[in-house]
Amino acid sequence: MFEIKDLCSAYGDIQVLYNIDLHIDEGEVVALFGPNGHGKSTLLKAISAVHPARSGSILFKGQEIAKTPAHKIVELGIAYIPEERFLFPDMTVMENLNMGAYNLNARKSMAENLEFVFDVFPRLKERRGQLCSTLSGGEARMVAIARGLMCNASMLMVDEPSIGLSPSMKFAVFEAIEKVNREKNLTILIVEQEIEHALRMANRMYQIRKGRILFERKADEIDVKEIEKAYF
Amino acid sequence: MESILNALVSGFVSGSLYAIMALGLTIIYGISRVFNFGHGIVAVLGGYLAWTFFTRASLPFVVSLLFMLPVMYLLGWLVYRYAIRGLMKKPNADFSTVLFMLGLGIMLENIILQIFGPRVKAVPELVTGSIMLGAIKIKNHELALMVIVLLGIIVLTQFFKRTRMGQAMRAVAQSIPGAGVVGINIERIFGYTFGLAFMVTGFSGALLASKYFMIPHIGWDWMVKGFVIVAFGGMGSIPGAVVGALVLGMAESFTTLALGAVWVWPVWFIMFLVLLLLRPQGLVGGRN
Repeated sequence: MFEIKDLCSAYGDIQVLYNIDLHIDEGEVVALFGPNGHGKSTLLKAISAVHPARSGSILFKGQEIAKTPAHKIVELGIAYIPEERFLFPDMTVMENLNMGAYNLNARKSMAENLEFVFDVFPRLKERRGQLCSTLSGGEARMVAIARGLMCNASMLMVDEPSIGLSPSMKFAVFEAIEKVNREKNLTILIVEQEIEHALRMANRMYQIRKGRILFERKADEIDVKEIEKAYF
Repeated sequence: MESILNALVSGFVSGSLYAIMALGLTIIYGISRVFNFGHGIVAVLGGYLAWTFFTRASLPFVVSLLFMLPVMYLLGWLVYRYAIRGLMKKPNADFSTVLFMLGLGIMLENIILQIFGPRVKAVPELVTGSIMLGAIKIKNHELALMVIVLLGIIVLTQFFKRTRMGQAMRAVAQSIPGAGVVGINIERIFGYTFGLAFMVTGFSGALLASKYFMIPHIGWDWMVKGFVIVAFGGMGSIPGAVVGALVLGMAESFTTLALGAVWVWPVWFIMFLVLLLLRPQGLVGGRN
């Protein structure tokens, strides 16, 4: 369903990603691990074309999308939930969710997606009239994820959804992502530092180090010690 | 007492005209972060176009506006598409876009001068006559202007609140990366923004030209006023521009009443500097 071949990405003269090969099957949850600053977020930004790749190919449902602009990627069905959230601070929760359904495909199924999002995050239903600048960190994270779900995508890329959250909030966020995968059969690519949490839902994982894929493991052959060792 | 009431009315009239004039400036800045240094001349161009359609082609005023607004929209869109879009991608975009808009203003001013000449022109009053409100006399034309401005502001705020394009503009104003992530075509929105802002600015020029006189370089005066109002109310904020315009419109009419018209600029700038010291983000608060 999704396949990256020989992808390289750089910021100016500094190359961050080297010859990345990665594939994801439909409905799969794939986790991406690796130390900070080694290219995990850069990879998600390259896929979403927020910061397009230098070279290489990205195939999504058989279509080459490496040169496709960011707004078209969303329309094709890949939603990106950045670590930085990038909410619209002076808009209400509801308005932010509306903007998530900006692309024309999402417009059609907006009511249905909204119902699902409020089912996953009942808290947001209570807060729907509140300005996003007044939300707590955990609530803002929920809006970011919910806004991504409103895009009506078939693949979701989530960058460090648990960062900076309280333990109970972390749990709620992971539970929500699992539910999305289970009930909507969304394909998920997740970057996460909470290895144990992420492994509970992942079917497969990739380890990134210094901009290259170090190894790839299926769920039943994952060794947490091996992953932890790869961080140092 | 009567003169105070008169000053109040005249402050309200000029305040509302300044409000619609400052809106075009604050829309461009708030959404695209480009400071339009040619703003005043764009307004003047709107005034001259309306004047042409109105007096030369003898069209009714409303029809003249309907002809002028699409021309202004197209001009704004072209300016973004063929100049600003390229400049915004380069380093030093803040500086180069300001210089471009300044240059565009100077060029437009001279084109207007070549075509229409240096003599004073005015868009005739929409309605003649006046009515008495208690002790004070208000021109029907001024009442019409206030109503038009009020309607214009309502239409604009509803546009930003309710329509898909208006919401997308607000989204781009608040977070460009956020807009990208939800699939908004940011460059297209910038193009629409320039079109909309030029249209609003041209509209304000036509109204200003029906209350005050018009010569090609009067635009620079309007632009300085627009800048003070926008910075006074809060950069990029629509309520800020409206509040700033009304406060400074009142200040203008009361200064004229108490000290004489020559004191208007000094009073404006003293108020402006004091406000900047106390509240650098502006009265209502926009972006710094």
